[in-house]
Amino acid sequence: MNEHQASEPLLQVVGVHKRFTGVHALRGVTLSFARGQIYHLLGENGCGKSTLIKIISGAQPPDEGELVIEGARYARLSPLQALAAGIETVYQDLSLLPNLSVAENVALTAELAEHDGRLARTFDRRVLFSTARRALEAVGLPSDAEFQRTLIEQLPLATRQLVAIARAIASEAKFVIMDEPTTSLTQKEVANLIEVLETLRAQGVTVLFVSHKLDECFAIGGEVIVMRDGQKVAQGPIADYSKAQLSELMTGRKLSEERYRDAANSHAEVVLDVQELGRREQFRQVSFALHRGEILGVTGLLDSGRNELARALAGVSPADTGTVTLEGRRVTLSTPADAKRHRIGYVPEDRLSEGLFLDKSIRENVITAMISSLRDRFGQIDRKRSRALAVDTVKELQIATPDIDKPVQSLSGGNQQRVLIGRWLAIDPHVLILHGPTVGVDVGSKDIIYRIMQRLSQRGIGILLISDDLPELLLNCDRILMMKKGRIAGEYRAEGLTEAALYQALLAEAGPAQAEPV
Amino acid sequence: MSINQTMSTPNTNALELSRKARAASWRARLARNPEWFTAALIAVTCVVVTSLNPRFLQWATLFDMLHSATTMSLFALGTLVVLASGGIDVSFTAIGALTMYAITKAVFAWWPDAPFALILATGAIGGVLLGLLNGVLVYRLKAPSLIVTIGTQYLYRGVLLTFVGTTFFMNIPHSMDRFGRIPLIAYRTADGLHAVLPISVIALVVAALATWWLLNRTMMGRAVYAMGGSLAIAERLGYNLRAVHLFVFGYTGFLAGIAGILHVSNNRIANPFDLVGSELDVIAAVILGGARITGGSGTVIGTLLGVVLVTLINNVLILIGVPSTWQKVIVGAFILIAGTLFVLRRRG
Repeated sequence: MNEHQASEPLLQVVGVHKRFTGVHALRGVTLSFARGQIYHLLGENGCGKSTLIKIISGAQPPDEGELVIEGARYARLSPLQALAAGIETVYQDLSLLPNLSVAENVALTAELAEHDGRLARTFDRRVLFSTARRALEAVGLPSDAEFQRTLIEQLPLATRQLVAIARAIASEAKFVIMDEPTTSLTQKEVANLIEVLETLRAQGVTVLFVSHKLDECFAIGGEVIVMRDGQKVAQGPIADYSKAQLSELMTGRKLSEERYRDAANSHAEVVLDVQELGRREQFRQVSFALHRGEILGVTGLLDSGRNELARALAGVSPADTGTVTLEGRRVTLSTPADAKRHRIGYVPEDRLSEGLFLDKSIRENVITAMISSLRDRFGQIDRKRSRALAVDTVKELQIATPDIDKPVQSLSGGNQQRVLIGRWLAIDPHVLILHGPTVGVDVGSKDIIYRIMQRLSQRGIGILLISDDLPELLLNCDRILMMKKGRIAGEYRAEGLTEAALYQALLAEAGPAQAEPV
Repeated sequence: MSINQTMSTPNTNALELSRKARAASWRARLARNPEWFTAALIAVTCVVVTSLNPRFLQWATLFDMLHSATTMSLFALGTLVVLASGGIDVSFTAIGALTMYAITKAVFAWWPDAPFALILATGAIGGVLLGLLNGVLVYRLKAPSLIVTIGTQYLYRGVLLTFVGTTFFMNIPHSMDRFGRIPLIAYRTADGLHAVLPISVIALVVAALATWWLLNRTMMGRAVYAMGGSLAIAERLGYNLRAVHLFVFGYTGFLAGIAGILHVSNNRIANPFDLVGSELDVIAAVILGGARITGGSGTVIGTLLGVVLVTLINNVLILIGVPSTWQKVIVGAFILIAGTLFVLRRRG
């Protein structure tokens, strides 16, 4: 790389405007990206960062302004042009084709871009496999023929993430955009991902990271770009900012770093008592008690069994050993309907595929859990009562919508999550299981969800918070259970505990449970 | 940037995870090669039939089956391509019927001595045009292909019966008649019957090889599977979906047009009421061959095996004295068994 090339910015966004019907999503954004740098794009949902990514990756044309890539100016880009120019976007869904092999996912995009998208041609399979092999090696994945032939749908999520990065490498990407890449990864997997990205950066690739997790951004380092209301409000080395400053820049208001939890509202009375619960190889001998009005955190790595425990208590994939006592009565939870009947609410981790009816209205989503009690004597849904219920829920949970008959997919992630919580409030739950409630939710919405959680616990609801977001657990819980290899390996009081201490406990290989004979 | 550089620290976490995923269970193997299941069903059927009637095991049976499977195979290969792309086509039988009847009638009326190759090419072109109309409609309207092709099935068939004719005729053009009689292999069986393998079987072999090559060795083939995997993602990755739609439906029409002409010359009759109504048989055969109705999968081998299985059931029951009405029951049962297994394989 010669001197001239090194000093020239890789990509510039110049005075870009974008309007959608009624919304001015981008208002004159100008940015410059250097080679071999890591950038963090921060901002609340709706600030315009998704639109900006779409314009850079060619998915949408700007209304005004232009893109300059290595000196070449573009008024608009097609997805294929963007790929050919070395811009690779790893969307949250990774854009992998589940029914094709690893090798095809990694190498076909490059093949396509190289030949201007022409389809009426044969391709050389040996070239395909060797391109894929080099790219897979570069991200540390196996590159043997068997792995290359594996279908994407058979791979775990963390591996898919790396396959998506391998595709960027195979396409000789110079600019890789990653849209919330760490959302569904465990901390160990995140650390691994960061390592791979660091290698890329060292090779001169520019990475644009879009994430809500400020801690991760600080851990990765590099430049930060903050957007608000369609404009850039700050740019500079991330080390120059504090977390509080960034939050303030993003939201335009001050957020507290204080614990949300007010220790006084937890009672001695046990609402949910779990004894020796187990399911297959997933978790064993799990015992704990949840008190009235308590917020009990459960954390652990992805293979710790925490997710499976949550699903067992929700009746989704039932436990096969052990007992559950709710309000002093033994209960069997073999189906989600059982859990609902016993007034256990479950907000799943993947709200899009497991929780919400995206194209149905907010009202319909809120009333589904209690639809049978809304029936009038002719079996019809009582429209008045269902409306009243939905309106109350929207008000109580501060869901930002002008109309309860709008489809849920028109809401931002944080508001969708509140609809899901609202559905369970309608059944007046004894226990609420929240599984990663702020995954993919922006800072402002997180704040509101935390406040809602605290209010619910004051009403006497016992809350089980399953999460791998350690600050979230520390800010909200009374106690935190640490799971390892399917067992409870430790219990901590959240008050006074530091994140570093909890993180170390999480990573410590030999938990107390492991010392016991298995 | 160099992509030869390997990371200094091996990525142990990912290695471990992917090794776990690779642990090849029978489910994973079935997921990758569902056609083994189809082959097993064929083997079981053959063994059962042979044990009940040893006469089943002779070349004449195979010839008979190949003869009756030619049309269905061509239809099935087209259906495979549409299913792999995530769509479904129920109009191909109407395309076959319209092209075969209209062309046979026209040739007979105006140029009875037309060479067979020309008739076949005309059928192929007619099929492509009708198929392209499907493709344009599905792509432009962004409508489910099932709805569009139900519409065009009625349309094509309505045009055939209203404007072209409703009476079948057995006086087919000379060259078509002669082609239908050319034997590839012929011999006299032990019981004195004449067993003939018609030359149209070559069309089946060529179509199968061509479809395999298109699907597996060209970018278009990969684009078909990519679109079947996810339309939205394929578009984002830069695949030209209009081209894929046109190819998929055009190719199905192409095979349907050829199938129609071969059908006439093999049976020496042009009946406008033929073919339409056999769509479900064809789709059933492709599904039995391991293609998912939801798109993105399916192989040529599996499809051919599926056709063999359905043809086998349709042809051999009579040999072992089972009333032919049982065909539907058995095909239905096989589809339910296969369907259940193929669903289980995905739940893992």
